Amino acid sequence: MRDLAIRRWWRRDRSPLPPGETVAAASARLERARGRLLATGVLFLLCFGALIVRTLDVAVIGAPVGITGAGGVSALNPAARADIVDRNGVLLASNLPTHALYVEPGKIFDREDAIAALGRVFPDLDLERVASLIASDRKTALLRHNLTPEQAHAINRLGNPGLWLERQEQRFYPQGRLFAHVVGFTDVDNRGLAGVEKAVDAELRQRAEAQQGPLALSLDIRVQHVLAEALTETMTAHRALGAAGMVMDVETGELLALVSLPSFDPKGPDRSSAEQLFNRATLGTYELGSTFKPFTVAMALDRGIAGIEDSYDATQPIRVSRHLIRDHRPENRWLTVPEILIHSSNIAAARLAVEVGAERQKSFLDAFGMFDRIPFELSERGWPIVPRRWSEHTTMTVGFGHGLAVTPLHLIASYAALVNGGMAVTPTLLKQEPGAHLVQNRVISAETSAIMRMLLYTVVAEGTGKKAAVPGYLVGGKTGTAEKAIGGQYKRDSMITNFVGVFPIDRPRYAVLALMDEPKGTEETFGFATAGWTAAPVAGAVIERIAPLLGIPAAIERDESEEAPSIVWESAEGGRHASL
Amino acid sequence: MMRHLVLISIAAFVLSMLALFLVKHEVRGLERELAALELDRQRHVEAIRVLRSEWSYLTRPARIASLAARHLPLEQVQPAQVRWLPGQATGPSALVTPIGGELER
Repeated sequence: MRDLAIRRWWRRDRSPLPPGETVAAASARLERARGRLLATGVLFLLCFGALIVRTLDVAVIGAPVGITGAGGVSALNPAARADIVDRNGVLLASNLPTHALYVEPGKIFDREDAIAALGRVFPDLDLERVASLIASDRKTALLRHNLTPEQAHAINRLGNPGLWLERQEQRFYPQGRLFAHVVGFTDVDNRGLAGVEKAVDAELRQRAEAQQGPLALSLDIRVQHVLAEALTETMTAHRALGAAGMVMDVETGELLALVSLPSFDPKGPDRSSAEQLFNRATLGTYELGSTFKPFTVAMALDRGIAGIEDSYDATQPIRVSRHLIRDHRPENRWLTVPEILIHSSNIAAARLAVEVGAERQKSFLDAFGMFDRIPFELSERGWPIVPRRWSEHTTMTVGFGHGLAVTPLHLIASYAALVNGGMAVTPTLLKQEPGAHLVQNRVISAETSAIMRMLLYTVVAEGTGKKAAVPGYLVGGKTGTAEKAIGGQYKRDSMITNFVGVFPIDRPRYAVLALMDEPKGTEETFGFATAGWTAAPVAGAVIERIAPLLGIPAAIERDESEEAPSIVWESAEGGRHASL
Repeated sequence: MMRHLVLISIAAFVLSMLALFLVKHEVRGLERELAALELDRQRHVEAIRVLRSEWSYLTRPARIASLAARHLPLEQVQPAQVRWLPGQATGPSALVTPIGGELER
């Protein structure tokens, strides 16, 4: 009450209290007013507080000035898919930025003008389709993918609000057809559809996301080019339907080259025939013929069934039920084990296989992986065609490479194991660290492997593989010519010819496979189209060119202390033998 | 005394606000510069990517071979013509450096 009196005095309020109001009542009213004032004050304080906080937030902390914020330029997306390079870093596949052109019909004012302008930028554009698109009531429509930078620039210069560009990525294969079957290709949305692109699709994406750089393959572009060139030349000369070839590191299983012909353009796989898209090297399964004989010899030697000097009767053809097993160029005499390979005798190989027996033969081939699909970085992998019933006749025919169809990849991987000291290798397309130890199982003893190296050497030095010999290098290998089974019948004039070479054969580093599908004889080959004339020369030409590239010194300039092995000597009976 | 304190704190407040404002502006400018540089870097990375593709396309072995056949009087090297220094023949050699690899990193 005194309070009120003091205030009235302070404000010089001389007005009388409202009539009928006591000082006490007036004081209570004042208390209420003060309460309201306080509430209002707090409310304002909160509002201004919020404003201050927000102002500080905007002004001091602020939204970060992103790339999108500066000068209205848009961010560039990093590539969505990692590059693929060869083992030396040469680019095989990359993502290139391009633009897609969209049209927004609602924003086009002068249709005639827009269509005419588009026609000037894209002379090949279907203008009627564009006209119907623009006349439609669609909101937006895609006009074109993958514009060149010049086209994108021209569209921007048109300045038509109804036309706009969207950034895109396009997979680009600078090497074109050369790596078509290995690297493969992608669809417009950059998803892998074939080859390595498909097999390691997820890894390519994940690599790009984690910015781990390009994916390095085991391939070497120089070797790939040499192999493709040699195969193309021979394929053309012999009018073959197709060809395949591979170069493999026999220790690590890395493929340095993988070629299948005819090839296709990875830019437009939809314009290619099934024949072109087919990978003969890893998907095609073939009865490969005599290139299987070294396995028969190896299993006989390794399991102690035959010795190197044992002889087998090849005097006359063998008749099994209604089949006749003959030799291509009969010797009509008993042949030693090395001679079975040198003369490529079907009869003697069949006899040797029978001596080994079906069970041991099967388990031996199984250990080499001949009955399974090979785990490999390509989705195009063929299943071997294994006979359901393994009769004695099967044992014989498989002994010289018929009746069991495998992919060329099976063959080269098995040869690698045959010569590298007896360890199975898993083929791979990914670059391995030098000295990397892959999981390896022993399939034959080191001694058998050493004998096999010498036997393969004698085939090139003395036998059917002479055309694969390269001056200065020790090359070993084996030819194989198989008649194609068409409609259940073997056709004499349709052949698969193949050759597997290994160099340097005294210390093997690389295996080379060449395969021709239905080659025809020429004048230069005196009408012959067998493997010795059509496949072995390819391997020889390839080895001659790639050996120096791969850092393999020619034997002629090796250190004197490491003399080249003398392998063949004349035996008392006049036959040739391999020595250890 | 009290009044001085109030005046000083008001002055300090105003000054610090001013400083904050200036720093803020400077930061904005730097951020814009950074964004421009980053964009520039990305453009260069992309240009390098395109140039690498082009380089790879232009150095296709088949193209080099045809150019060499047309313009160079050279023949294929025979194995006997190649000499190796001791310890030199070690296996596949990396002869190619990826262009722009350093820049990209």
